Amino acid sequence: MMKRRTFLASGAATLAAWRAFAQTQSHIVGTLFPMSGSNAEFGTLYTNAVQLALDHITADRMLKSPIELRSQDSQATPQGGAVGMTRLATVDKASYVLLGFTGVSKAAAPIGGRNKVVMINGGGVGPDLATLSPYFVNIIPLANKEVTAILPWLAKEGLKRVALIYVDDPLGQSINQEFAAGLPKQGGTLVGAFSVPPTQQQFGAIAARVRDVKPDAVYFATPIGTQLSQMAKQLRDNGITQQFVTYSVGNLPSIVAQPESEGMIFTGQAADWTSNEPKIKRFVEGWRTKYKAEPVTYALNYYNGLMLFAMLAQGLERAGTPVTGETLLAELMRVRTFQLAGGEVTFDEHASASSAIQISRVHGGRSEKIG
Amino acid sequence: MTAYLLNLATLATIFGILAASLNVLIGYAGIFSVAHAVFFGVGAYAGAQVALNLVPDVLLASLAGGLLSGLLSLCLALPALRVRGEYFVAASLGLQMLAVTVFSEAHSLTGGHGGLVGIPPASLLGIDVSSPWRFLAVCVGALTLSLVSIAILMRGGFGRGLMAIRDSESAAEALGKNVPALKTIAVAIGCSLAGVAGTLFAFQLAFINVESFTLEQSVLLMAMVIIGGAGTLLGPLVGTLLLLLLPAVLSFIPFIPATEIGTVQQLVYGLAMTLLMIFRPAGLAAPSTGRR
Amino acid sequence: MLILQLLASGIQTGVLYGLTAAGFALIFGATRVFHVAHGATFVLAGYAFVLGAQAGLPWPVSCLLALVVAIGFGLFMDAFVYRPIQRHEGAFFTVFVAAFGASLVVQNLIQFCVGRGSVSVSTPLTRASEILPGLYVAPVFWIAIGVAVALFALVTMFLDRTDAGVALRGLSENPELLRAFGLSSRRLSALAFGIGSAMTVPGAILTAATSGIEPAAGAHVVLISLAAAVVGGIGSLRGAALAGLLLGITENLIIAVLDTQWSEAAGFLVLFAFILFRPSGLFGQAVRR
Repeated sequence: MMKRRTFLASGAATLAAWRAFAQTQSHIVGTLFPMSGSNAEFGTLYTNAVQLALDHITADRMLKSPIELRSQDSQATPQGGAVGMTRLATVDKASYVLLGFTGVSKAAAPIGGRNKVVMINGGGVGPDLATLSPYFVNIIPLANKEVTAILPWLAKEGLKRVALIYVDDPLGQSINQEFAAGLPKQGGTLVGAFSVPPTQQQFGAIAARVRDVKPDAVYFATPIGTQLSQMAKQLRDNGITQQFVTYSVGNLPSIVAQPESEGMIFTGQAADWTSNEPKIKRFVEGWRTKYKAEPVTYALNYYNGLMLFAMLAQGLERAGTPVTGETLLAELMRVRTFQLAGGEVTFDEHASASSAIQISRVHGGRSEKIG
Repeated sequence: MTAYLLNLATLATIFGILAASLNVLIGYAGIFSVAHAVFFGVGAYAGAQVALNLVPDVLLASLAGGLLSGLLSLCLALPALRVRGEYFVAASLGLQMLAVTVFSEAHSLTGGHGGLVGIPPASLLGIDVSSPWRFLAVCVGALTLSLVSIAILMRGGFGRGLMAIRDSESAAEALGKNVPALKTIAVAIGCSLAGVAGTLFAFQLAFINVESFTLEQSVLLMAMVIIGGAGTLLGPLVGTLLLLLLPAVLSFIPFIPATEIGTVQQLVYGLAMTLLMIFRPAGLAAPSTGRR
Repeated sequence: MLILQLLASGIQTGVLYGLTAAGFALIFGATRVFHVAHGATFVLAGYAFVLGAQAGLPWPVSCLLALVVAIGFGLFMDAFVYRPIQRHEGAFFTVFVAAFGASLVVQNLIQFCVGRGSVSVSTPLTRASEILPGLYVAPVFWIAIGVAVALFALVTMFLDRTDAGVALRGLSENPELLRAFGLSSRRLSALAFGIGSAMTVPGAILTAATSGIEPAAGAHVVLISLAAAVVGGIGSLRGAALAGLLLGITENLIIAVLDTQWSEAAGFLVLFAFILFRPSGLFGQAVRR
């Protein structure tokens, strides 16, 4: 038994040593995304974004030493997150890790903090992510800010009665609270809040409940893209014709392309694909040529996540400081405001980003900005 | 590197305890439970609550976790006394699905999907054991203790009684064995050990939520026992090492593209399960001409 | 009206559950194989249909494709996974693990080849219209019921009226006796897997049309089939079908009184209660202990 374990261990050690030798002097950046299971669509998207950023960074010769990417599958579970993060921090010696998903983030944050690895979250939007660890950086505005942005729009459109379908996690709970508190202030009401388990796939019965409360608009708060597309389709199929609203999850390509999503409103970081600002233009065009598809804001977050690394490391390289998690974080907190693709991003004292939020509408299989 | 290996070793040890505890049910008592992750979870939540609200003492938390899991194991013992085989599998399945919902909904006890964050570093009788080496030592100690006690129990009259029931319940009854008592105790022992493993898991991760206690986890545990060899002392450990370390080893293969690594891991993993069952149905640790 | 609406959606879910569960029960009854990869059959059939439809095949051809794929996979599992294990006198749990491994392989192969999101076919048949004030029903509701009833009748007729069908039912009771009469239990078990797998096809196709299907969808299907087979009394086709229907209705009706996240758990509570208090199921004989 022990023999087997030591054999495996020494085998792994040799491999790692060989790798370390082969690639001295490069910056190691890790990704910890779900690459299998029902959330794997996100993982693929995020990885593509990171690779596009890497292409651009290499093309611009931003850094003296090359960036080396290491990927671990988080399976979107805490255990996967903890194992993957330990692996990235201690075996691959990554100084900077891009990750997503609330459960993964919570399990990875203490490990990253202990090993002084900067962690960039561009996907999980639970409000409890703000204060996980000093090394935990949120490059995405957290979801409660998205609700604040949609409330005035609902009032303006005269959509007073809102029904909420949410997954009962910190994200869903915070959206529920924001609505329950925010709607009455503008004369609206939350007429129903229906929580569903994250594994639910049949929404015919929920459609009946939703119809029963006669809402003007239905808000979806699920972190799972597949589930959102099933909700939208089944509610439409069951005769719910009211306005659909959701947060940035609505920006997944599979959802925008679905005919039942027509007219759906979603909030998200200001990301105007038609803008002429050179950075965003380069991202959008790069994405279209490389992946033959329309980009989404999630992808932009992780593209910016690696871009941010390049900017930080560039500053450090110029100053002659070694690039480690510690120095990267110090540099981030020193500069605070960055010109990333899509506009200026400012980090607060918890290293959480705030940027403008825009409202978009799905129309004809594409998303268009409406406010 | 050391920290990574220590982390893997600690996880493997914890899962070793789990697989060994499930083996008491599957291998010795013939109770095919697919709800073992429930008791793993109960122990983890109970241990975490003790650590968060009272003292972060491993021993105390493990006792609490083990005790609560042992008590709740009655939910599993009840159907085990009434039905066997496929019926029992279905009952344990029902229990597993119910428990996942309860874990996600009992916010005050489990934190719901958000889970319990910030479980404090472990100590043992006032000594800090939170460093990776020390915590591994604690887990190895727990594993050794579990294995030794299982070995002793199964060699004695209790174990013989259990195995008699496994092989033929009516024969055991005719021999004057107290079948309900033996079964209930076996379930309680297996589930308490799972609870202890849960507490250790909570300390190791410092964060737990329902995603670690799902049906997939139960099936994985069951696979560890069956692949290693049910009813053998070392079989569950072999199964644990194989299934837990296989993905880790696969992740060192350099030529798999980053976006496909998870899928390939799962693919190999599933294939290994199927092929092993076709060619080594009695498990890896069993002698090749197995009893079963 | 809420109750009526929930009942309607419960029936639609339930008939498909019932049909799939009956397939599972047929396989289990005839071969004693706990066919956990039944869910994989379901997913494969669904994907075959969607890919066929996306490739521009007319829908009957796509349906046929789904049927061929489902039966093919069922026969494959029987011949290359279950039979070798049973030859070693493997315990039923060995079969369980092997089948679970096979389901993982199927799920990840689909992810690898087709993609990870859910796929669906869009059809006007899933659009509901108001047939009574406040009661919305889509054409697919009637299709589901019609297809399920017809197919179920066909299968029961086959089992009752033909020699092979009667032999199939006999297989579960006494395989030795059948062998003595010169019937091949291998061919019969292949027949059971073929029919049983075919019974997943309507559910798979209609799921692809109503809610979309994803690589990991099989797990839920197996859980429901298994629960229904047990509640109905293991081996009883009629029992499994009825129990599937009841599970679907319970899952939906419960939403009228409880919070929505409890709906799946409610079905399993029913299962758990049945095993404790009426282990023989709805139609089963006394449990063999």
